[in-house]
Amino acid sequence: MENDQDILIRCLSVTKQYKKGENLVTPLDTLDLDIPRGDFLAMMGPSGSGKTTLLNLLSGIDQPTSGSIEVDGVAIHALSRRALAAWRARQVGYIFQLYHLVPVLTAFENVELPLLLDDLKRRERREKVEAALSLVGLSDRMHHFPRELSGGQEQRVAIARALVADPPLLVADEPTGDLDRESADAILGLLQTLSREQGKTIVMVTHDPKAAGAASRTLHLEKGQLLEAVS
Amino acid sequence: MTPKAAFNLIPLAAKQLLRHRVRTLLTVLGIAAGMFLYALVESMQTAVSRTTAVQASDVTLVVYRENRYCPSTSRLPLYYEDEIRRIPGVREVIPIQITVNNCGASLDIVTFRGVPPRQLARFAPEIQVTEGSREDWERTDDGALIGENFAARRGLKPGDAFEAAGVRVTISGILTSPNLQDNDVAYVHLPFLQQASRRGLGEVTQFNVRVEDPAHLEEVAAAIDATFKTAEEPTHTQPEKAFFAQAARELIELTGFTRWIGLGAVIAVLGLVANAVLLVVRTRIRENAVLQTLGYPDSAIAWLVLLEGLLLGLAGGLIGAGSAMGFLAISRITFGNEGQVMSITPDPGLFLSGLLLALVLGGLASTYPAWMAVRRPIVESLRT
Repeated sequence: MENDQDILIRCLSVTKQYKKGENLVTPLDTLDLDIPRGDFLAMMGPSGSGKTTLLNLLSGIDQPTSGSIEVDGVAIHALSRRALAAWRARQVGYIFQLYHLVPVLTAFENVELPLLLDDLKRRERREKVEAALSLVGLSDRMHHFPRELSGGQEQRVAIARALVADPPLLVADEPTGDLDRESADAILGLLQTLSREQGKTIVMVTHDPKAAGAASRTLHLEKGQLLEAVS
Repeated sequence: MTPKAAFNLIPLAAKQLLRHRVRTLLTVLGIAAGMFLYALVESMQTAVSRTTAVQASDVTLVVYRENRYCPSTSRLPLYYEDEIRRIPGVREVIPIQITVNNCGASLDIVTFRGVPPRQLARFAPEIQVTEGSREDWERTDDGALIGENFAARRGLKPGDAFEAAGVRVTISGILTSPNLQDNDVAYVHLPFLQQASRRGLGEVTQFNVRVEDPAHLEEVAAAIDATFKTAEEPTHTQPEKAFFAQAARELIELTGFTRWIGLGAVIAVLGLVANAVLLVVRTRIRENAVLQTLGYPDSAIAWLVLLEGLLLGLAGGLIGAGSAMGFLAISRITFGNEGQVMSITPDPGLFLSGLLLALVLGGLASTYPAWMAVRRPIVESLRT
């Protein structure tokens, strides 16, 4: 049993339901889950099992129908839309499968995006962006546009963007799903480094067993229920 | 969102606009065309207002033949001058013979004002000769002092000769005057114009009268008309601007109608920006959701959308209102009727108000798209 102080995320009886046409869909059903600080957790399961829904709830871009989610002591299920946006900006970095970089911005400018809302000086922003790009090994590509980068490089820019505000939690939705094996391995290595050396808590959704193998723990979901935990 | 954050997002909005260069260019050109029309119409309205709105400080009366509205039909005996001068409250009076190249509505009116040369400086000391010489004009029978707008429109300078309405003159000087009508006419010697236009030497078109006290303008006008009520040529006297408003009333009605064109241009700009920004929002649903995922609040997303509308409005306004001012500066359009002239001149105030209007329209047109951009749930937008 983990000490409460070691728990970053605590989900209690989390249920998510929505209407699809006439039907009521329940992608998550009374789910309980604790995620310790610094954990690198992989979530696997068939399509529709609720893993992306859980990831969206943990990252504060969706709200549960019932139950509670606390992240670092903050009950994010009860936050207003505005407070939730402010929370996301500080506490969570989201890595998408398809990177979702803004095509008209350079790698530097894409990474800078989360910092534009802060009252930082331009020099402070530059230092943070350069540090994030250096961490993902792209210091020499910072003035390249996304179209001038490979898929793996684009995903590393997206990881730098997720990291630049130094959030304790990173969530990744199929971060290697659109990459070749070599690039995927590099991204997984980077996530492992971030977990191990930066102490980031990482929650990753994947279909790829090899990607899940890079995590320290794997959860299986099916029909909105947690099936088993494999260390 | 803090003001600094709002400022930080301006370059992002500008870069997003440049992403669809052709669409942005076409939208900006559309806005520019609308604002060009609007600025031209407003310039015309301003010219009318400047020329016809009677102000409390006005001191000039025009004495015209009763029931006549055209210079060719208003004929008053020259000897009226002495009688008018004796009326209490009259400070100065000058007889004027007017000859125009076109008595109807026109965009290029040439108006000759024949006056006793030595009386002009006394009657209108505000007239300044900027090129050439007033003395030269007073000495030269066929000399003309022409207004600066007229000189610029026709490309004339001292020493040049020109002919209009059968009258050929040599330019002695260029004048400028705070009385806007002066800047569009040619002052010539009264006897010369009476002979050249084949009118009798003892006859003039009108008398311009300056009163001692602007508060007594109406009173003096009534006294003048009363003096000549039973004379062979009765008079109708009114403030100079009211006289213009009456003489050119058809033209003013026509100009008033152009307000609808201006309004149409404004509505077209509103629709154009709203359409462009709505398209932007629809094609960028997922991208906005990504920004929201990064922590952008609804206010920041809405501000980004508004910014795009504002920047489109700013660019279109700058080009449209700017080119309208440039066009007016180059073309020096003068329009008028019955010998009365109005110059449509570029006005910095109008340029700024056009720019401001374009900005307001840009912001207004983006309000609904901005609301559209933030009302969808993030997860739903990410799935599109």
